[in-house]
Amino acid sequence: MSYLNQPDYVCYVCNCGSLKPISKIYFCRHCSKIRCGYCVCQEVDSHYCPNCMENLPSSEVRLKKNKCSNCFKCPCCFQTLSTRAGHVPLRVVPADGEDSKDVKTTPKKVYYLSCSLCRWTSRDAGIPDQSMATGGWPEQENPHTSRINTLIDYHKILASIEKQQSERKKFRPKHPYMQIIYLFSFQAMFRITSAMVRKHIGHPAKPTNESTDQPSPAVASTEVEELPTDIFTEPVEITKITTLEQRLQQPDVQTENVNELRPQHRQLLVRRSQRCRVCEHNLCKPDFCSQSAKFKIQLAAFYHVPEVRIVTCEPLRPGKSSELLLKFCNPTQHQTQVVLLPLDTPMTPILTLVDEKEEVKQDNAQQGSESPNLLPSIVRQVPVVEETKSIKITANADVVLPQNCLILPRRDDAAEYDDTGDTHNFQDDPKFVIWRKGNKAVIKLHVIPHENLEENNNQPVVIGFVMQYRYVNTITTLEHKAPQKLDLKVKLYLTIGNIVGSA
Amino acid sequence: MLRTYEGIRFFSDKQMVILDIGSAYTKFGYAGEPTPRGIIRTEIKCPDTKELRRIYDYKDTEDLYQLLVEFLHALFFKHVVISPKDARIVILESLLVPTQFRDTLAKVLFRHFEIGSLMLLSTHLATISTLGINTALVLDIGYKEATLIPIYEGEPILKAWQALPLGGQVVHEYLMKSLREIYPNVDITEKLVEDIKVRTCFVTTLERSAKLRTADAPKPPPAIKYPGIKSINIPGEIREEAFEVLWDRDNDNLSIPTMILNAIIQCPIDTRRTLAENILLIGGTAMTKGFASRLKSELLTLVKSSHYSEKLKIQTFMFHTAPSKPNYTAWLGGAIFGSVDLPLRCLTKENYLKSDRVPDWVSLIDNQRDESTVYET
Repeated sequence: MSYLNQPDYVCYVCNCGSLKPISKIYFCRHCSKIRCGYCVCQEVDSHYCPNCMENLPSSEVRLKKNKCSNCFKCPCCFQTLSTRAGHVPLRVVPADGEDSKDVKTTPKKVYYLSCSLCRWTSRDAGIPDQSMATGGWPEQENPHTSRINTLIDYHKILASIEKQQSERKKFRPKHPYMQIIYLFSFQAMFRITSAMVRKHIGHPAKPTNESTDQPSPAVASTEVEELPTDIFTEPVEITKITTLEQRLQQPDVQTENVNELRPQHRQLLVRRSQRCRVCEHNLCKPDFCSQSAKFKIQLAAFYHVPEVRIVTCEPLRPGKSSELLLKFCNPTQHQTQVVLLPLDTPMTPILTLVDEKEEVKQDNAQQGSESPNLLPSIVRQVPVVEETKSIKITANADVVLPQNCLILPRRDDAAEYDDTGDTHNFQDDPKFVIWRKGNKAVIKLHVIPHENLEENNNQPVVIGFVMQYRYVNTITTLEHKAPQKLDLKVKLYLTIGNIVGSA
Repeated sequence: MLRTYEGIRFFSDKQMVILDIGSAYTKFGYAGEPTPRGIIRTEIKCPDTKELRRIYDYKDTEDLYQLLVEFLHALFFKHVVISPKDARIVILESLLVPTQFRDTLAKVLFRHFEIGSLMLLSTHLATISTLGINTALVLDIGYKEATLIPIYEGEPILKAWQALPLGGQVVHEYLMKSLREIYPNVDITEKLVEDIKVRTCFVTTLERSAKLRTADAPKPPPAIKYPGIKSINIPGEIREEAFEVLWDRDNDNLSIPTMILNAIIQCPIDTRRTLAENILLIGGTAMTKGFASRLKSELLTLVKSSHYSEKLKIQTFMFHTAPSKPNYTAWLGGAIFGSVDLPLRCLTKENYLKSDRVPDWVSLIDNQRDESTVYET
């Protein structure tokens, strides 16, 4: 939780150059690389209504224009409307000669929509009550739909003529934008008469039916909407006029009068899945069921990359050495070893300790270009390369990095509850490793902020280093290979605090 | 090949997404639909600083790139709800859009979102497909600027283009300034001012406007009490005068009505009457109450003035009404145009990645005269 609320103190540098906390990055097991929300391919996975949580297949979503058919939102305050039941005595018209007292009024249940926040009801808007709770609410229809459909049909004819003309003329542009002049003009399309249209699409000329092809052109008029004269005299009740936000919720009407607002269907939301751009494997795929908060696939870096936390830091003074305690945590099921290296270390991963010697050669050869776990290149699309972002943060303090490596045992959930003491037998340097429990360890580093930093300019002290960690890739075991052991590197930037006092 | 029944249009392979990224509002939806799915503000919360920023207030190309990535991401997944990968997209842009913006937008769409194809349509040109005619003088009055390009027989007359920094923004500035004078203690934000403008202000008539700042000013319209944390009283003078900035001549003696007349003068003489009789107003600011009638009376007064009466012999101006609201007419033009399948007019991903540039009408590489492109007429 702390990752969600705190500022990002410890940032990992993703392969695309983004700086993100560990909670926001992914680890692609197939490429053995860190990915983040910026450099993955995001896809719409499933649609659901945020109110009734109903899942809808994508074909139905398209048909319903991405709106939930059951849930409405208030046209005034955009909250979800609730359906209310009310009784309306059904008045039976007394027949002639009968006394009206004898006729019983049969109560009938009617339903109307009501907003529990702003108290808007469908009765205010003059929408008739419905006898069914589920719906039958009148739909708003764009008054110009038929005219627009005629125009669309007309443009389709023109497009087909253009296509035919270009085919007939053996129109082969030397490069694809040769037609650029035409891109910016309708001339080629609009000079065609409807008689030509008929000829081209093989219909016999039917002069009587001419008007169906070419829509009647719009007629301009000298009359324009005049300003109502009472605007200068009549007082205005501002609560009766809709706001721009309310108008834009119903773009086809954009009514000015509050009473003409109509309830709108609630828009569906989507669940996204993330896919690695390089190998096209899924990094994160949510469960299809909209109520479930689980994932089918979740390759978050939190489960694969050692987590670094700042424990404490001595007050920082420019040019003076201060102690910094960092906690490392190994989340994987395999023992790992962490080495801290200076920032300018080359970032290529090193493949080590593969069990069979033959495979070392084979894998090393492939490692030069790409990871061996990718799909065959025929299946994959060529990834579109996006420029990497430049890292905007700079380290303004030196850190004395230890030479020895830190070994972190594998994660053991049972050990969390075991208070009998740790039975590890790592030969730690007590000056370097000062605390150890289970898969976690705290190390001590020395930080020397640069001389030119001053107390008052509010510039935080940032250190950076490269963390090299041993990663056991178990994905290869699925392909009947021995697990790979890789030494991966990731750049980290830590914001450790502000300068206190001068040197 | 032509089936007019409804279903076919709906299920035809991949839907084309139409985006009209305006300086204040973005209109989005799918091709072939009569209304946009929604209209949202062209702004996004910056992930680093957490402040709301307008896309068009970018500092440099890199900043614009990041803003567009964030904005389009929200647009694709929250509003349009479509996987942008391999999507077909139509973008409406003014012919006068800065190259920096255009190139960066294409780069974001192709490189970051990996869209399948992109069709860039000129706002003014696409708009006339909503009318079923091929000659119109299209005046777009949006938030930042008013732009005008006459279209004659489907051909934009580019040399007659007009653009002035007149639109919603200057009105907002005027309102902010005058309201801050009256209420120095109230926080007058642009959002508040926009709401006041939309709900209470209007464009006054030419006769009243002439008398407005003189001694015998007409009786102002009633003041309005605007509710809020501190309710403010909006005087009638402000309601009436808010839009006067659009009609005041600037130092070059230019304003919205002179844009139309100057454009007509710059057009060939045989096209002038037709253009004057086919004026189409688009853009959100053109929706203001009384805007069209004021424009008409201004035009009729101006042609009689000494400056224009010599050059222009036009007496009538006629206005079109598109089958839409003016603030999304350009989008609708794109939606009609995008509903037809024109692969030759699209820029595909392969072509973009090969050439790494967007064809542009100002670039001579794209604008060479080639005999083979001449159609028989």
